[in-house]
Amino acid sequence: MSSPGSAGTAALPAVEELLAAGDAKACCSALYEHPAVRWLLGDELHPGGAATTRRALELIGIGAGDRLLDVASGTGASAIVAARAFGCRVAGVDYGAEAVRGAQRAADAAGLGDRVSFRVGDAEALPYADGEFDAVLCECSLCTFPDKAKAIAEIRRVLGPEGRVAISDVVVDPDRLPAELIGPLATIACVGSALPVSGYEQLLAGGGMRPIAVESRTEDAAALAERVEDRLRGARLLGLDRASGSPSATGAALELVAAARRAIADGALGYAILAASPR
Amino acid sequence: MVNRLGPTTSICPQCKRLLGAQLLEREGRVVLSRVCPEHGLFEAVVYGSAERYLDVQRFSKPGEHPLERQTESARGCPHDCGICPEHAQHTCLGIIEVNTSCNLDCPICFADSGTGPQEHGFSLSLGQVESMLDSFVRAEGEPESVQLSGGEPSIHPQILEMLRAARDRGVQLVMLNTNGIRLARDPRFAPALAEIGVHVYLQFDGFSEATQLAIRGKALTEEKVRALDRCAEAGVSVSLAAAVDRGVNEEEVGKIVRFGIEHPAVTGVFFQPVTHSGRFRADSDPLDKLTNPDVIDAICEQLPEWFRADDFVPVPCCSPTCRSATFALYDGEDLVPLPRLVDVEDYLDYVTNRAVPDLEVREALEGLWSAKAAGGSGPVAERLDCVACATGMPPELREVAARGFMIVVQDFQDPYTLDVEKLRKCCVSEITPDGRLIPFCAYNSVGYREQVRLELSQANGKGHGARR
Repeated sequence: MSSPGSAGTAALPAVEELLAAGDAKACCSALYEHPAVRWLLGDELHPGGAATTRRALELIGIGAGDRLLDVASGTGASAIVAARAFGCRVAGVDYGAEAVRGAQRAADAAGLGDRVSFRVGDAEALPYADGEFDAVLCECSLCTFPDKAKAIAEIRRVLGPEGRVAISDVVVDPDRLPAELIGPLATIACVGSALPVSGYEQLLAGGGMRPIAVESRTEDAAALAERVEDRLRGARLLGLDRASGSPSATGAALELVAAARRAIADGALGYAILAASPR
Repeated sequence: MVNRLGPTTSICPQCKRLLGAQLLEREGRVVLSRVCPEHGLFEAVVYGSAERYLDVQRFSKPGEHPLERQTESARGCPHDCGICPEHAQHTCLGIIEVNTSCNLDCPICFADSGTGPQEHGFSLSLGQVESMLDSFVRAEGEPESVQLSGGEPSIHPQILEMLRAARDRGVQLVMLNTNGIRLARDPRFAPALAEIGVHVYLQFDGFSEATQLAIRGKALTEEKVRALDRCAEAGVSVSLAAAVDRGVNEEEVGKIVRFGIEHPAVTGVFFQPVTHSGRFRADSDPLDKLTNPDVIDAICEQLPEWFRADDFVPVPCCSPTCRSATFALYDGEDLVPLPRLVDVEDYLDYVTNRAVPDLEVREALEGLWSAKAAGGSGPVAERLDCVACATGMPPELREVAARGFMIVVQDFQDPYTLDVEKLRKCCVSEITPDGRLIPFCAYNSVGYREQVRLELSQANGKGHGARR
């Protein structure tokens, strides 16, 4: 982070501007780079944290020496978990330059700099050669990519013939998703353009992949939504949102989270891990 | 099913001799079991959930040394208290019992005090209390907190001078442990406490008449509320202290929290499961005793919209099974327990090995958990320390929160539950007139209380407590 000194108290002007300009990719990466968002979500930035990451990697049988690509690697927390828990080599790619620098620092600080590296890149045009990886991990980010089919095709391209991919993501029942969870803010909050499990399966099939396993992690989504709600309420109680000059943003975020919690309880919103391999 | 959780040392509740003991998992609870060759088998439940007993052990951290130790190791723990070289913690809270006289005759009293003539009763002089405070200062440098107790300390004619003596010695938090009767009846008392800067630790066990008769022998709600109102008016902060007994007032813990959080004088509630020390109910069974997880579950069941069990964090200063605490931010409408805003587990990493650099917001919030309230900001590993020992709230919390509130659940040991290994980390001490600091649970379990009382009543033969 370039300015940890302003963490949590700074508003999110970049996000608001980018949202207005319709640049969803830049908007997402700016949002998830923001310290306040990391505080809300936790370093892993996805439901279930490191436990879900480990489970996803177990489902694709990752092993020591495997070459793993983490698409939308964010803070680097998952890449570090993978390298540490499974002994694999990890490349992380993220749209945000700040995130990439921070992730590399974290990996170096963890003493994993020789096995874990990060670079800036677009999931829809991965900066890697064909068949370069044994496995790909893509956590809670496919739902935010504007061209999902292209991203899946790219993942397929960089996988070797025996490759596996683990996707963990928000799943929705589009017919039952309430109106307040559809729209640009909901989109960058991973809900607005999420798919049902069958939608992800079709995407994978369209990219020439067959499913290995599907596992629901909706309880992790419920726990994360509760955490975010608690922290937003806490920020309001502590006056952190007044300091940022955008108390209305806290109110809007709280409404979004409340709607998400209701939708999770109703079964309209959830989280799942899908594992697949090229056919 | 019975599982052994490990060996420890305990005592015979009758003859006080040291006995090898076992901690057993039985029906999901932790039971301390031992056999006295003379008096037979003794068993007591020490933690209501074996699963959580094991889980909280990771909150254990090494203790700190006091500046001075007052006794030598001779007979072995817990018979050399004072503090002896075997003790593994300094003292966060020193207690001075200034008298044995009281203006109540509670059916439950670990200090075995009352209104009538007291067997081996005593009343300390100001000079005695000053010299006790001096011993505490020698041991601790800048003591975090002192509590004047009794008996009923507010009826001691020199109580204000005694409180001032503690304040003058730089004790950061000076507390008066009282039943509130004098506060309610004497309109000058709360302003006098405010002038000295005293925090009141007010007995407050619940609202139902049955509860109050069972624990205090008298219905006192009206007087308690008047005492609190006088404190609020005078600017005296108060912690409510509730003795919780099974089948008596478990159902009232949520109500006590709700009442406390709304009252302008109250900054927190301390829940203390009733122990088998001094006077206690004759029909109470050590195998049916309430413990911390039971009280935490009762709070969460009665206030599900506010608290979950994991909002209560073991305090690592003493044994993590002794005390669990939470802070809640409250603005009159919304309430959020502070542990939901910080990654409490981070404090447990002595070497922080995080993937992301620390953030200022996180540090600011984590500062609220720090030991600053109790003086000095230690390294990260020590931050969760003494906040909960030294009642009240960290000043940072007062500044940032519209209203912060603390809930502490504190189980003390008695002759039935005494685990000597746990006792070594005790950070609450009774200060004796000869300058010893005796860990509170040893004082009430091993025979120190009776010994000190006998010595004092003989030495102070003419003291007003000893009328016979």
